[in-house]
Amino acid sequence: MSSLYLALALFLLLTLVAGLWRVGRGPTAADRMLAAQLFGTTAVAILLLLAEAMDSPGLRDVALVFALLAAITVVAFTRRAWQPERLPTSEPERLAERAGGAA
Amino acid sequence: MILNLASIALLLAGALFFLAGTVGLLRFPDVYTRLHALTKADNLGLGMLIAGLALQAESWVLLGKLLLIWLLVLTASAAASHLVANQALARGIMPWRR
Amino acid sequence: METLITPGNDAWVAVLNLLLDGLLGLLLLWLAWRTLASADLFRAIVLFIAFGLVLAMIWARLDAADIALAEAAIGAGVTGALLLAALARLHPDRPGTQARPRGSDAS
Repeated sequence: MSSLYLALALFLLLTLVAGLWRVGRGPTAADRMLAAQLFGTTAVAILLLLAEAMDSPGLRDVALVFALLAAITVVAFTRRAWQPERLPTSEPERLAERAGGAA
Repeated sequence: MILNLASIALLLAGALFFLAGTVGLLRFPDVYTRLHALTKADNLGLGMLIAGLALQAESWVLLGKLLLIWLLVLTASAAASHLVANQALARGIMPWRR
Repeated sequence: METLITPGNDAWVAVLNLLLDGLLGLLLLWLAWRTLASADLFRAIVLFIAFGLVLAMIWARLDAADIALAEAAIGAGVTGALLLAALARLHPDRPGTQARPRGSDAS
């Protein structure tokens, strides 16, 4: 069983490495951020598998902290670093602007 | 024995969803479709992996902790997807059309 | 169960451990290099977050769950958010950073 956990952890690490391509490429900032979000989830999965394989239950707490803090980075990203140039004040206004301007 | 086989099947299915999520992130054409791929990996991939691990859990405390981790990741991924999609629309990024 | 999965379990575990540790180490070095060499500040931040994740996993592999916990909380969670908030105030018109000033409600 232990070797299966380790093999799966290695496989997930390889998918993480593949996801790095999107960080380097990603046309918009959101694409890079989404890759980081996927890395966070993958790290949670790897840590849970490692906790089982290495028989050290403390690693589950690390996975728990990762899961807890997963949202913070993306929230900071959308609230701070990726604001539109002009902030429309309300939802109807934004809808109207989109219907008028972008189409 | 049955429990072990079910656990292995769930773990492999979870890994498969992580692979699908990564391939989607790499291959899909725009932010919205990539969000779709990402949430599959978050929700189903981690969900199945955690279900597979939970079948091996020795105690109820461990089961609760695994479930809590999954719920937290679900919340985070739902919130993140909503925020990113909303912000992308507000910035005028058009959804991809064939 | 052990014999069902793998006949020579110990050898497999040793090989998998080696591959996992080697890949993690190389990945950490590569991420550190890319983070420092990246011209695009936003990409550097995302790479730094990934760096923190990989570093936490390495501490986990070294059986140092407490340090991994600290790295997870500080490195991947808080520092990433702080750097993003800092980037939003920095170089608003520099191409590639994608950052825009928040205007009047930046407090």
